[in-house]
Amino acid sequence: MSDNILKVSGLHAGYGAGDILKGMDLELPHGKIMTIIGPNGSGKSTLAKTLAGLLPARAGTIELDGRSLNELGPPKRVLAGISYVPQEYNVFRNLTVLENLKIAREFMGANGKAARVVDERLEELFPELPKHYRIAAGNLSGGQRQMLAFACALTVRPKLLILDEPSAGLSPILTREVFERVARVNRTGVSILMIEQNAIEALRISQSCIVLSGGRVRACAPAREVLGMKDLNSFYLGNASNHV
Amino acid sequence: MLQTTFNGIVTGVIMALPALAVTLLFGVLKFPNFAVGAMMTVAAYLAFALNAQLGWPLAAATVAAALAMGALCIGIDQVTFKPLRERGAITLMVASLGLGFILENVARFAYGNTARSFAIELARPFRVADVRMNYEQMITIAVSSAAMIAMYVLLTRLPMGRAMRAVADNPSLALVRGIESPKVIRWTWFIAGVLLALGGVLIGMDRALEPPMGSNYLISVFAAAILGGLGSPLGAFVGAIVIGVVSELSTLVIAPNYRIGVPLVAIAVILVFRPQGLFGQPYIRK
Repeated sequence: MSDNILKVSGLHAGYGAGDILKGMDLELPHGKIMTIIGPNGSGKSTLAKTLAGLLPARAGTIELDGRSLNELGPPKRVLAGISYVPQEYNVFRNLTVLENLKIAREFMGANGKAARVVDERLEELFPELPKHYRIAAGNLSGGQRQMLAFACALTVRPKLLILDEPSAGLSPILTREVFERVARVNRTGVSILMIEQNAIEALRISQSCIVLSGGRVRACAPAREVLGMKDLNSFYLGNASNHV
Repeated sequence: MLQTTFNGIVTGVIMALPALAVTLLFGVLKFPNFAVGAMMTVAAYLAFALNAQLGWPLAAATVAAALAMGALCIGIDQVTFKPLRERGAITLMVASLGLGFILENVARFAYGNTARSFAIELARPFRVADVRMNYEQMITIAVSSAAMIAMYVLLTRLPMGRAMRAVADNPSLALVRGIESPKVIRWTWFIAGVLLALGGVLIGMDRALEPPMGSNYLISVFAAAILGGLGSPLGAFVGAIVIGVVSELSTLVIAPNYRIGVPLVAIAVILVFRPQGLFGQPYIRK
């Protein structure tokens, strides 16, 4: 087993002719939460999509627990242990809540009763979901939908969870609840890479933080240290080059 | 009027099968497949070859033709549509028009323009509540209803059906949830091929086998799918019945030759007043 659950080296990726990620490096140790912050257009969501396999890596390597993922498509990466929750459109709106929860396990090789039954631990973590099982996911509120997306990503028992803006569009109370669940999931041993604009809340539950700007890592520091900074904005915008 | 309504229901249940194929393919692959008419024709001739030329019972010939058409559809996708998948819906639609032209003319080349019929015994019509019915119409209703129930079970109770709905709902999310889209696409084509083969045989039983037999239904089939809401299987069934009944009833007030105008008018009215159809999801521009 490698020391790091995720190791990214010299990653280039993007849309069309240009690269959005321009030689990105990243290492996430086992069982930790890393928050990625940075201005709009810095490549945060591009990074998440590339790690999940939705965008090809044009150069560089992606390793999960020492295993190269470059040649694997998104479904094979799920089997390898990566689960990704997109920022938007992260549930199947026309499927019921229960169907959303079942569908990933059905394609993970689980069969028979194992594929049909929702993990009891998930019901403990998301106790509000069972009462909505028969409702189409598109009819849930924003917060409920986010919890469902989160739960769906956990049905496959990932080693690494990638969350793209899990608090986007949520009220402060729901935001706190989302981060509390993220921390609980992490305590079960799941490593988490979290892209988040709500930096302070995210950093409170994270062990490390990197700043992405212009498709490159501009700074990297322990989360506690970043939280104590007087000039957090400067760090956020990637000006704290001494941290790299 | 009761007789006309019944005839419309029979026409509707025949159209329901290709309408369901259209809506399934549109839901998963996001393009209107205009080759469905010719695919029905080819499948009907496959069943004809086994039934009338090799002497198989029509039921066995239909099952064999349905399985063969399912496999053929997977092959057609690999050769024709898969290489064009990234080029968008318009390219795929134009390819389907060309494919339909080729398939229809393959059938014409093999069997000519002469109308043919399956080797089945013609039973005497009977009357129920003053409505004249025949044995073939009963088979048509039974086969189409059974296919609809099977589709309902597939889409709501079986993992592959759920996966098809998931891919139709959000293809990129389906990928990151571990669903192998290529496998789902192959199954979608296979099921569409089976539905089209059943539809082709039922049209052949209701009318006759001739090269344009499938394309004659094309406008009505698309009107049914659009009325029901493209991508909605239940909508395709309801839409087909409505279009079938309204088309038949229109002959009470207009000349039967103009009946073909009814689905065209229906398409125009639906697209103006309710573009998402009866059961479809409204399109949200972001």
